[in-house]
Amino acid sequence: MAAGELRPEAAVEVRELAAFFGSRQVLRDISFEMPRHSVTAIIGPSGSGKSTLIRTINRMHEVVPGARHTGSVLVDGADVYGEGVDPVDVRRRVGMVFQRPNPFPTMSIYDNVAAGLRLNGIRGPKAQLDQIVEESLQGAGLWREVKDRLATSAANLSGGQQQRLCIARAIALEPDVLLMDEPASALDPQSTLRIEDLMVQLKEQYTIVIVTHNMQQAARVADFTAFMTTLEEGAPADLVEFDRTDAIFTNPARTETQDYVTGRFG
Amino acid sequence: MRDALQHQLDRLQTLLVEEAALVREALAATMQALTDTDLQLAAKVIDGDDRIDLRFMQVQQGVESLLARQGPVANDLRLVLAMLHVNTHLERMGDYCVTIAKLTQLTSRLEGDEEIVRGFAEMAVQAELMISTAIEAFVTQDIAASESLVQLDDAINQANRRVVHDLLALGTTPDHREWGLRMILVSRCLERIGDHAVDVGEQVAYLVTGEFREFTDASGEPVTLD
Repeated sequence: MAAGELRPEAAVEVRELAAFFGSRQVLRDISFEMPRHSVTAIIGPSGSGKSTLIRTINRMHEVVPGARHTGSVLVDGADVYGEGVDPVDVRRRVGMVFQRPNPFPTMSIYDNVAAGLRLNGIRGPKAQLDQIVEESLQGAGLWREVKDRLATSAANLSGGQQQRLCIARAIALEPDVLLMDEPASALDPQSTLRIEDLMVQLKEQYTIVIVTHNMQQAARVADFTAFMTTLEEGAPADLVEFDRTDAIFTNPARTETQDYVTGRFG
Repeated sequence: MRDALQHQLDRLQTLLVEEAALVREALAATMQALTDTDLQLAAKVIDGDDRIDLRFMQVQQGVESLLARQGPVANDLRLVLAMLHVNTHLERMGDYCVTIAKLTQLTSRLEGDEEIVRGFAEMAVQAELMISTAIEAFVTQDIAASESLVQLDDAINQANRRVVHDLLALGTTPDHREWGLRMILVSRCLERIGDHAVDVGEQVAYLVTGEFREFTDASGEPVTLD
């Protein structure tokens, strides 16, 4: 499919992106657009630079010593690496949820959600904060389960609940984009399906980019799918194919994609 | 990789090839029965349809299990979906052979016309060729072979149109009219077998390209890709 046929409104646009750890190049010439209010899944074998790719979107890649990139990343049309752009501001607008739920264990459920706001210097009357916490927990599908124990420790929640708490913490900041790096791979099947349902709901308000090893998960929830892999031994990873998810899983254009999604690579 | 999936796909393909071979046998036998007014052979064709139906059920159940357990995607998914269609088309061809056998039983006491029956035999030979071509094209994923089915089908369609004309010229006695009416159905059965073979060919094109298209439109004209 030609780029022009995709939904025109790109929330995230990656242009000729390359990424390095020291002298080792891990990504090369990655260009594609992640459309607004959709779920884009990034699939590919281990070591194909999927996590590195999404970490360049919210400037977390550069946190690793020696890590650098070339090319550009645009969120809502603005270069996140532009002159004078504060990485902290980028990370507020581009939220991230990780593989292992990482709530602050010593904090209460309430404070976990409010923490993002406080860390970003957002202060206001208690009533306003209460409202944001409630809305975020509702948005993450957790409110009904925790509303009577907001002051208790987040450590007592189940894995699936903790992951939804992390989603609540991320959306409390009203980001434009939500990056999810294997958000369900540490969860049981039922909690996984809840997170998947949540993604479909959340895309109404946010643009979601998910890295997943679970191809069926990509097939179930993503509107668009990007397949990344290393085409030659030792070479940096390429974006092999990006298309609507149904095209990737019914009639992929590239043999490499077909071999991967049908489980016949290697 | 994915040995279980591949094994099941291979098994389903083998069942379809067997089913097609049984349909070809049924067609040859039912035509022999019609030509020789061999009622025993006609009965054998009717009984033998169970063997075709058994393959049909096995493919159906195999596909159901494979979809539930293996989650096929991309070309694997298209192959499985195409198998479902091919299975149905083969089973229907088998049913048409049974119908011809029953018509043979019903017309055995009537005097027919050898020339017209010879015409049916020629249509049937053409239909047998189409069945082999269709299943081979499916197994080898050969689009060119599958598209050649349209030309083969043309000959059957033309013969079918001639039969009506010949039957009308046959005579107006009650026996002639009954024989003629029943033979119109035989002609129709053969013509439909050809159509189902073309439909199998369309599944080959879908399997290979991922795009479903009819080879001919409702008027029988070839459909060209724009």
